[in-house]
Amino acid sequence: MILYLINLILALIWVIVTGSFTFLNLVFGFLLGAAALFLIRFQVGDRKHFLRAWLVAKLALFFLVELMRSAWKVATLVLYPNMNLKPGIFAYKLRAETDFEITLLANMITLTPGTLSVDVSDDRSTLYVHALDCSDPSANRADIHNGFEKMILEAFR
Amino acid sequence: MTFPQFAEAFYGIALLIAQGLLGLAFLLVIIRIVRGPTLPDRVVGLDVLTSASIAFIALVGIETGYTLYVDVAIALGLVGFLATVAFARFILTRGQTEEDAFEQLPFRDPQSKTLSRTSQGSQP
Amino acid sequence: MSEAIFDTIDGILMIGGSIFVVLAAVGLLRLPDLYTRMHAASKAGPVGAGLLLLALALNAGSSAEALRAVAAILFLLLTAPIAAHLLAKASYKVGYGLWPGSVLDEMPRVRNPEGEDPYYDEEGSQTGLALHEGQAGEPAWRRETKDRRPRWSDLRKR
Repeated sequence: MILYLINLILALIWVIVTGSFTFLNLVFGFLLGAAALFLIRFQVGDRKHFLRAWLVAKLALFFLVELMRSAWKVATLVLYPNMNLKPGIFAYKLRAETDFEITLLANMITLTPGTLSVDVSDDRSTLYVHALDCSDPSANRADIHNGFEKMILEAFR
Repeated sequence: MTFPQFAEAFYGIALLIAQGLLGLAFLLVIIRIVRGPTLPDRVVGLDVLTSASIAFIALVGIETGYTLYVDVAIALGLVGFLATVAFARFILTRGQTEEDAFEQLPFRDPQSKTLSRTSQGSQP
Repeated sequence: MSEAIFDTIDGILMIGGSIFVVLAAVGLLRLPDLYTRMHAASKAGPVGAGLLLLALALNAGSSAEALRAVAAILFLLLTAPIAAHLLAKASYKVGYGLWPGSVLDEMPRVRNPEGEDPYYDEEGSQTGLALHEGQAGEPAWRRETKDRRPRWSDLRKR
């Protein structure tokens, strides 16, 4: 946590030294500070910082790919004369516990192929997901389990 | 035909095609909003209408070169999101579907289970 | 030369984005019930609008304007699933049913505190194949709440 603050201070110093306070310059300074801290990662002694940044970036990339795939899937499905729908709602036992993780997972599920999160149970143990193709709910569960939930838990825990 | 010439021609044609497609999208969404059949269906239609409007505003911004239109698109997205959230709250507090409301009507024939408003079944 | 390349990419993004928006609208018309329509509304719609905003970002002269367009895309992708989620949750709780062709519904109905509810399982979520449309009788909680308008407290009791 303290490393992020140091990184931010480095970014602010970069902005002051270059003398142009724009958002892009701040982001560039932040990246530069991260690179500098990466060089001395063994001395700082917190390699998790960089691992986590990498995992978050991987999650974002995976999310963008899945988003394009899901839009493509819905768009092509609609064009078939016989859509052959088997919709349904299945329950998914959550491993994520905090509010942030559950919110992120629910949002990402909504934006991935063929699934839409409908509700979370009051005790936050179950997520109810509507799927366009619910003929094999255990496969859908396995998809979420090994895809987004795994990556979210890796990145934010 | 050199590549820059092709690019310019393609750009103009792409603008026209995109405008035509978005106009078609508006029409289809409005058919859904008019046909209903229930309030949430119409709200979903409104959601897509907001997306299509944002897309159209972006297109106008590209065509005219005024990038100020991005701010309009952001504001419209915010208003559309809040409208959907408000409608969701309204549906929740109203607490009944259209079917429930129809069953409570005083002139309804108790035998009829359908939503048709003709009174065929009430004749003895 | 680079301008020509940008123009071509712009044109492709514009056509692609508007095709996604049109297909979202077609899906809205063709899909059978509220929840499946929400799939089209919450995926294809924002992606189409996002692609057009991306074209605008590529077309913009300065970096600040491009950044604003990217912020608009992020905002759109962030709010669309939340809106769909809220709407789906509200309509399911109120009692809008699934399409009769649906194959599975594992979500528990709102429980009536007094009467028995044929669709509520004491075990909780695993009610299996209990589609409330097309089954005999009417859920008890709906009969119960017919006399007065349901209140918040009714909906929250689970």
